[in-house]
Amino acid sequence: MTQPTAHIPNGLPSQGRMRLAVAGAAILAIAGLAAFYYASRKVQPIAAASGLLVTINDETCVPGELTVPAGRNTFRIVNATNRAVEWEIIDGVMVLEERENILPGFTQTVTAKLPAGEFEITCGLLNHPRGKLHVTPSAESAADAARPALIAFVGPLAEYQVYLALQGNALLRAVQALDAAIQAGDLAQARALYADTRRPYKLIEPMAESFADLDHAIAPVADYLEQREADPAFTGFHRLEYGLFAKNSTDGLAPVSTKLVADVTALKERLRNLKLSPERMNSGGARLIAALAETRIPAGEEHYAQTDLAEFEANLAGVTRMMRLMQPVTSKAAPAIVAEIEAKTVSVEAALAAMKGPDGYPPYGEVSAESRRGLSQKMQTLAGAIGKLNAAVGLE
Amino acid sequence: MTQDIGKKRGILTDRRRLLFGLGAAGGAMAAGLGAARADDRTAGQVTDAPVSDRTQQRQPFYGRHQAGIVTPRPEHGMIASFDVLATSPAEVKRLFKTLTDRIAFLMQGGTPPALDPGLPPADSGILGPVIPPDNLTITVSLGSSFFEQRDWLADHKPLRLVRMTRFPNDALEAARCHGDLSLQISSNSQDTNIHALRDILKNLPDLMVLRWKQEGSVPALPAKPDGTRESARNFLGFRDGSANPDGGNAPLMDRIVWIQEGGREPGWAAGGTYQAVRIIRNFVERWDRTPLGEQERIIGRMKATGAPFDGRTEDDVPDYAADPAGMVTPLDAHIRLANPRVAETQANLMLRRPFNYSNGVTKSGQLEQGLLFIAYQADLEKGFIAVQTRLSGEPLEEYIKPIGGGYFFTLPGPVDKADFLGRTLLEAAGQAVSGLKP
Amino acid sequence: MHFRRYFSLSAFALAAAAGSGLALAAVSPLDLVKPVADYKIYVSEKLETLLTDTKAFTSAVKAGDVAKAKALFAPTRMSYEAIEPIAELFSDLDASIDSRADDHEKAEKDPGFTGFHRIEFQLFSENSTEGMAPFADKLLADVTELNKRITDLTLPPEKVVGGAAALMEEVAATKISGEEDRYSHTDLWDFKANFDGSKKIFDLVRPLIESGDGAFVTKVAGNFTTVDTTLAKYKSGSGYELYDKLSEDDRKVLAAAVNTLAEDLSTLRGKLGLN
Repeated sequence: MTQPTAHIPNGLPSQGRMRLAVAGAAILAIAGLAAFYYASRKVQPIAAASGLLVTINDETCVPGELTVPAGRNTFRIVNATNRAVEWEIIDGVMVLEERENILPGFTQTVTAKLPAGEFEITCGLLNHPRGKLHVTPSAESAADAARPALIAFVGPLAEYQVYLALQGNALLRAVQALDAAIQAGDLAQARALYADTRRPYKLIEPMAESFADLDHAIAPVADYLEQREADPAFTGFHRLEYGLFAKNSTDGLAPVSTKLVADVTALKERLRNLKLSPERMNSGGARLIAALAETRIPAGEEHYAQTDLAEFEANLAGVTRMMRLMQPVTSKAAPAIVAEIEAKTVSVEAALAAMKGPDGYPPYGEVSAESRRGLSQKMQTLAGAIGKLNAAVGLE
Repeated sequence: MTQDIGKKRGILTDRRRLLFGLGAAGGAMAAGLGAARADDRTAGQVTDAPVSDRTQQRQPFYGRHQAGIVTPRPEHGMIASFDVLATSPAEVKRLFKTLTDRIAFLMQGGTPPALDPGLPPADSGILGPVIPPDNLTITVSLGSSFFEQRDWLADHKPLRLVRMTRFPNDALEAARCHGDLSLQISSNSQDTNIHALRDILKNLPDLMVLRWKQEGSVPALPAKPDGTRESARNFLGFRDGSANPDGGNAPLMDRIVWIQEGGREPGWAAGGTYQAVRIIRNFVERWDRTPLGEQERIIGRMKATGAPFDGRTEDDVPDYAADPAGMVTPLDAHIRLANPRVAETQANLMLRRPFNYSNGVTKSGQLEQGLLFIAYQADLEKGFIAVQTRLSGEPLEEYIKPIGGGYFFTLPGPVDKADFLGRTLLEAAGQAVSGLKP
Repeated sequence: MHFRRYFSLSAFALAAAAGSGLALAAVSPLDLVKPVADYKIYVSEKLETLLTDTKAFTSAVKAGDVAKAKALFAPTRMSYEAIEPIAELFSDLDASIDSRADDHEKAEKDPGFTGFHRIEFQLFSENSTEGMAPFADKLLADVTELNKRITDLTLPPEKVVGGAAALMEEVAATKISGEEDRYSHTDLWDFKANFDGSKKIFDLVRPLIESGDGAFVTKVAGNFTTVDTTLAKYKSGSGYELYDKLSEDDRKVLAAAVNTLAEDLSTLRGKLGLN
């Protein structure tokens, strides 16, 4: 968690302040989690815990093969390695469920609603061999199949698919423009164009991150890679960001940029054919907002470009788009929760707007730990509200 | 109030049963005669006239109100609209008196005068030498132009009488709209109606000319063993008239249909009513290709029974209060918009008396058919105009297109043989009626 | 035609939720998301073209260029006709953009008679653009507003799928007679656009019904081909011959194909569980 600061070049005052702030936040986070860790170790012996236990060791998961009935399943993920890991359930190339940032020695609970079928689970670092997850048909999955109200979601989902298509196009255009600048070695232009690529990506991130292969190529964060910035798997946006903003150079970025254009082109196609469901919209939205609250706001993700606040705003706008499209249906079934989501959304929007200066958002390093905490708390309540939606409209 | 309407029909039913009972006896006699015919005319020849036991049904002509309004609707109806050429009070009086004479005769039935064979006959003869009444009624009404185009009548126009204006879904054809005078002619057979029209045209060629006409019919249903009655179906296949107020309930009709004395309407109009006529084309091919469930949601009733979605029979009253969000009956269902059944809309009730019409083929090769809508109410604005305004934009509009019609004021009835249609109007206009030469 | 009001959509969306036992077993409601999304994109592209073409058309009208305006009239309308089931969801705009003289009591003289056909009347019957500037401005404003409203509209799936049949109903009820473009006689352009719009919807849902009801798909596709082949005989330049060139025999062939398509496509909603 403290590593990102090591890669920030000295010299720029704002970056220096950011380093301190991030280090401070990271220490606080670790202290808090460590306390929780010890508490949980004491009161929750593993054998008595609810949920299926999966331990991530250095190279493998134990067990490496799981069988569960279709429907809601809870997994308790123990990170027995000395690195923060992600844990994902993957359907082909689609991420069905994931938990980011499981710290060494910690246990995280993941609840997922699974259809019958064969899936994979990631075990530790992304290049490790994957485990297997067999989901067998159950009464619950059969009942789900007959759910009639699903048709009411067709209109909103189609509209969201159009949105994905439009933003996918915008993303590709922006990435192509950035690529042209990088191929031309125009650092200033490339730095200016970088942010343009991020907004459309962040708007559609709840769905874009569901393709595991592309997500790992387009947006891996150095924190999750074995050799961090030096890792050959460090590709995509953050690799470009690292070059443009940390190294102040386009050196070596041309092939990365070419690959990113290809990956985004593939992403655009996948998004056009993505099979949407209302559950996925709600859980994807809740997951992204929770990730913002728990990880990205405290620690930041744009370590080099410092444009985190604009990206939070885009993430929020993308999730809000999903929520509002489904409102005509969801507000009939769960008016109170929809109203709560709307109110929390407005509150986060206001908090973000308050952080905006006359020249837009400040570099994230200038945002105090206290401000981050405030934003994170608001985001967390929003995630909680969205998290209640699926059950409230009968989708769980 | 709604309960009253739901339980309509008591008086109506009894009256009809009486008429039908008499008719059946007559029919039996007629059938017996037919069987005893001469050898060369055995029963069942292809061109034998179909047998009717109802040709002697007769409606009363004289009364405070004209016939043909609360009179139960027979199988065949027609609206004929005329431009009136009579301008002077004397001409108008002749028009009214001639109409009165002809209608009195036609509704009574009888033998027309025999003329010299060198002359054209007095009667078209299409009903034979002796004209049967055949349940005929002819109802005379006046359009706003009748008053506006005659200075001496302009001040006596009924308060609410206006020229029909276009509603958003209308595609009005000028040649099938408005008129100075309308005749609603209804009876048991189309030929009786046509006979009446031809008689009137022949007798008043100088005072009025035909502008447009529309004929229609409603299907007869077999009597039900329990004596209850059902509403006829329209060309959309739905029962039409289920929630119509009870025409046999005189106090109710006084409130909904008849102009009362002492109100804001001119005194001469008391006993009259407003007539709204609309020719509403139905896109039947398209309707027949619409899922049944959607048809029912558009109308707001079950197609087979005519029952509302929360009821069992067509007379059941839908409980909209229990369904404020329209989960049972959609908020824009035809019957719900037409009659929301709340206190404020009780003033919008009217008495409907429509017929189905079928006119041949459109230029596109589709059936040109639909509903000849006719409704009567004491206040045109609160009645038809308010209801139609509320219906504007209803989903049913995709399948219907009003193409003609008009608003008219139905004159009070002639109370006895000394009286005539329009007398009260002429008196109000200050004319020395008795002094005018016919 | 412009019968349906916007406000009825919500009720239908809800009612559609009741589903239908008729639907092909293999079709899940969520299978409809992609066809509906693809159709929205199709509609958006048509609207963009319509907006561009309408700008050119109304500019020609305002510039008094009768010949150019006449030439642009029919191609401009095609984008509208192709998406008519969606365009006419907003009845106020449909009335002001596409109403015909017979929708108005005083026909051509009626002040409420505006839009394409009002300008068509002036161009082709009066051979002038006199007095058309306000109508041209209004038409462009209405098309701009339509584009905006549809962009913000969540398309009701039953309207999208039902649109395939609705377009055929339009042709059957009011176009086969040649009364739509009665001054310019460019009806065959409208026909083509209506058929293309209907076929687009059919093609989008075709994969969902192909396996479950192959005979139906073959029959409908065959009738679309009949229409295409018949219309192709009347191609002229980038467009079509005038309607009076259509032979009586071909008119009957088209009428029968339209009626059959209307009958068959009217079952599409039921097959897809969108009753």
